[in-house]
Amino acid sequence: MSTVTLSERYRAEFDPNSQEFSLAGVIRPHSVDEIAATVTQLKQAIDAARGVLYINVKRLAQMNNTAFHAFARAFLDACRTRSDIRLVVVTSSVVGWTERMFRHLSNIEPQITVEVYDSKFYPGQTFVEDTSFIPILRTQTKMTWRHERTILPRHGMRAGIHMADICCGIGDFAVLVRKEFQPARIVALDHSKASLAYARDVATNFGITDIEYTFGDASEMLLEDNQFDLVTCRHSLQIFNQPDVLLKELYRICKPGGRVYITNEKNSHCLGEPRAQSIQWTYNEVAKLFAHFEMDVELGPKSRRYLADAGFEDIRVESFMVTNLDGDPQDFADIITAWENVYAGEMAVKRGDPPEFIERFRQGFRDHIFAALHPKGYAGWPIWAASGRKPL
Amino acid sequence: MAATEKESAKTAFEPLLQFEMEMGTFLSDWQHCDQLSTFMARMISHNRADPVRHSNFLSSALNELLEMSFRSGIPDGRLGCTVYRDGPTERVKLSFPCPSTQRQFYREAVSRTNNGSAYARYLDAIWTELAPSREVILLDLAINFDAEIRLEERPSPSITLVVDLPLEGIVN
Repeated sequence: MSTVTLSERYRAEFDPNSQEFSLAGVIRPHSVDEIAATVTQLKQAIDAARGVLYINVKRLAQMNNTAFHAFARAFLDACRTRSDIRLVVVTSSVVGWTERMFRHLSNIEPQITVEVYDSKFYPGQTFVEDTSFIPILRTQTKMTWRHERTILPRHGMRAGIHMADICCGIGDFAVLVRKEFQPARIVALDHSKASLAYARDVATNFGITDIEYTFGDASEMLLEDNQFDLVTCRHSLQIFNQPDVLLKELYRICKPGGRVYITNEKNSHCLGEPRAQSIQWTYNEVAKLFAHFEMDVELGPKSRRYLADAGFEDIRVESFMVTNLDGDPQDFADIITAWENVYAGEMAVKRGDPPEFIERFRQGFRDHIFAALHPKGYAGWPIWAASGRKPL
Repeated sequence: MAATEKESAKTAFEPLLQFEMEMGTFLSDWQHCDQLSTFMARMISHNRADPVRHSNFLSSALNELLEMSFRSGIPDGRLGCTVYRDGPTERVKLSFPCPSTQRQFYREAVSRTNNGSAYARYLDAIWTELAPSREVILLDLAINFDAEIRLEERPSPSITLVVDLPLEGIVN
């Protein structure tokens, strides 16, 4: 016998301010009557809309033909009676069938168009998804792993668990976790097809077949509720313009009693000796630069607040410093070089900063590298690791 | 040997998963369609390049097929479903009771998925029909899932739909 009713599996909402009607979840009715209230709600939204009505199906995981025909009928009827209105169906590049199905409506009625929601909606996405950044991501993970392998067990990592690594990038963290902790299942999700292709290549080359790499939008995941004992999301909340939305999704897929583990930076606290002042100035500017692009690379110490606001309990926070003394100092220097190239070479240019600012900005990175490679120097990059338990 | 059997013999489809169920039990709850399609899709997709998205696509297709057999509404006999794989393609063989009077309908509906008017018929159905017919379900599979659909007929009171779904290519 079914324990979950149809109405519990999907949500329909209309936001009159943005003129957006959203459908999310699984809609598989036996008959149109079961979704009659939602169809009526849609018709009312159409009646209330002026100009453009957005139909958001980004989080519509499943919909059967019965539901599709009912909603399509409402759209097409609206076009017949309202020549003044345009309907824009917003689908996700993750859920491929929605685009395929809804696209037909624009072939029937030109007042209906379909837009595929994609990475362009994230302000900073293009910077971090650049494939030239891949080698440095590997080096970063190598350096942080020295610390995290001892930190993770305090945040719920153990053998046999089901875990998800959200915003997995090139997948190297998932590979290291698999080897060190032997979880029973690892799902690794990212929104960069290039990074995932790299991750799959590495997995193939190492004969790894049990990491489930998947393309997805971390703020609108296809993964079902309450699935994972541990959800990790590293260095990512800080580059989303709405970290609270992402955290809500991490909470959703975590099992009650499971934990969500996040790592984030506070870039202005990067440090080095000698040439401390120049280094500090540049990293203060890094924080401002990211803020300009709606990213908060100062988020690290705010982790506790974010986790508490998202409803987690038993919150644990600790910090560690990646330094030039962690292995080869050249690795540290290589990371800073990559930062200089992206932050000064691309982001500052895109913000429209003058050459003299960019030159001073670059100098701080060069001084950080100088400190890292100096025989008596010290260079650091602080990271905050935090986790919270989803209440039972 | 029938043409369809010859085609099956040529290919290298390996069985992945099979289930059978009394139709009476299946028809006792509409949610069986959703539950079975979700479970089967997860099992089958686990070793695809992108298991989550492959499973999502496959579940959609399986659900439509199961809903079609549910709507046949005949409580006697058994529902059978076997999924095979050959490279990027999953083959679904779905058997369900079908009275002789309905066989011709399925023959025609399946043959329409392969002819040049399929897309026009599909758009027309969206435009005019209040609820999707069984023919539209098959057209949906052919158009939105790039499915190739055949019918296997045996002298039993069941029919078998054979649906090849090249989803690995679509997903990736």
